[in-house]
Amino acid sequence: MVEATDDAALTELGRRLVGGSLSDAAIQRATEATPNFAILPWANVVKIGGQSIMDRGRSAVGPVVDEVVANLHRHKMILGTGAGTRARHVYSLAIDLGLPVGVLTVLGTAVAWQNAQMLQYLLAKHGIAFLEPESFSSLPHYLMERGAVICQGMPPYKLWEANPSLGRIPPQRTDTGCFLIAEVFGARKMIYVKDEDGLYTADPKKDRSATHIPRIGAQELLAKDLNDLVVERAVLELMLTARNIKEIQFVNGLKPGQLTAALDGEPVGTVIYVADAPAGGAR
Amino acid sequence: MSPGHPGAQHVVSSLMRESLMDKGVIAGTESPSPVRAILPKLNVIQIGGLSIMDRGHEAVLPLLEEIVASQDEHTQVIGVGPGVRARHILSVGLDLGLPTGALATLAAKSSAQNAYMVSCLLASRGFVYLEAPFIVQLLPAMLAAARGAVFNGIPPYDLWEHPPALGKIPPHGSDAGSYLVGEVFGARSIILLKDVDGLYTADPKTHPEARFIPEIRAADLIRMRLPALPIEPVVLDLLTRAKLAKSIRIVNGLVPGNLSRALAGDQVGTLIHA
Repeated sequence: MVEATDDAALTELGRRLVGGSLSDAAIQRATEATPNFAILPWANVVKIGGQSIMDRGRSAVGPVVDEVVANLHRHKMILGTGAGTRARHVYSLAIDLGLPVGVLTVLGTAVAWQNAQMLQYLLAKHGIAFLEPESFSSLPHYLMERGAVICQGMPPYKLWEANPSLGRIPPQRTDTGCFLIAEVFGARKMIYVKDEDGLYTADPKKDRSATHIPRIGAQELLAKDLNDLVVERAVLELMLTARNIKEIQFVNGLKPGQLTAALDGEPVGTVIYVADAPAGGAR
Repeated sequence: MSPGHPGAQHVVSSLMRESLMDKGVIAGTESPSPVRAILPKLNVIQIGGLSIMDRGHEAVLPLLEEIVASQDEHTQVIGVGPGVRARHILSVGLDLGLPTGALATLAAKSSAQNAYMVSCLLASRGFVYLEAPFIVQLLPAMLAAARGAVFNGIPPYDLWEHPPALGKIPPHGSDAGSYLVGEVFGARSIILLKDVDGLYTADPKTHPEARFIPEIRAADLIRMRLPALPIEPVVLDLLTRAKLAKSIRIVNGLVPGNLSRALAGDQVGTLIHA
């Protein structure tokens, strides 16, 4: 009894979508030509690191909170939290118990959630709310009224997290979740607050000859195939197909002023950019 | 980077102070303890949206009868795809310029409707409808108490759906969602019910010389670069990284008996394996 849709009411692309296969490359290509509407072009997504900031307690979190408060009337901020050392513990325990990647994602989400709750207690007196992914449709209201909102950084994939190509740690964690929030809203900036000034040619704590990298291409960074990275590999891979977010910035949350400078558009820390993202970026 | 993070308060674990982006650390998590199947008797059955649901009772009711007939022998959870209403909202959403994550959130509601309808039709046989949070919290308990469950085939990626390499159509649809449910629970089988007999080397409607493929490795199928597949291409990538659910079977749900044969482990349709 296949119910037909009223073809006359559909665009030409719509008629192809209704009748054709969504995995047909020709139809997929045709969707490239549609416009890109930026949902929240003035929002900034700021990820507060788990191991790098939250696990340090007051000495690191306090100054970051102060800087967020100082920027409440200057910039709109979606604050996502990382997970950190408790996630490492629960991942290692769950792997030992033989549990699959999707279960690890559920467990890791709880740790990022704890960090988001703690951050929210510290910002509550400034009227800052915490939102679950299911409540994201209220997010524009909170941003306009209060200037910031807090969420946990993990994407809501839960048991549906895909396996990594190697190992058993969920490949898409809080760096990825925050990046995808910025991407879907067409946000102004994606800023990662960690405990380093950004990228170096080597680990500056071990190698005194290491030099700071102020800007680097995502493709170049992926091509280097480094053993370790400042950000989840999934973020670099998603940058190559992202339509809105062409660059992400890494700042040192242990150095007061760096977050503000990044929010103000200054080239502080390290910027990872993608030069030739697919056609039709919003900006 | 910065594996040390001096100053942070750590919980002792094998991953303590480690960078989870470090390849050596990641590789070290591969073993020694193997992944265990949480629900090894589970069968995940996916009812296609456009291919089955949109055809109405003529296609759907015989399938549900087959599901009910297998109830005593097999534990079944039913994923359901979205169909033509998702195509329509994709069309309107794309025209408005909405991003992939917004389109994914919208399309998921269409398959939720289909799943809810299927759960109503199976309600008298003790099937329950479970949204994603309840799959996480309740599925094992529900299967111990209830006689089966129906879920939204589209995974709960919502606003966090990946922008695809080409175009804007959300890459993780109900095939991917049903597969991932099978993988995380270590299901016995994953059966996708469509309106085709399985895989062909080309579209048999337009290419009479097209050959049927009864069984194929996911990696080989990716290499063949067929222009259009009866399943979402992302499922092939997921299969290459499978830990527990190492195959899916595509069968024609319009042919009576096919589902029962697939549940019995017979060679019917196309088996795609890791």
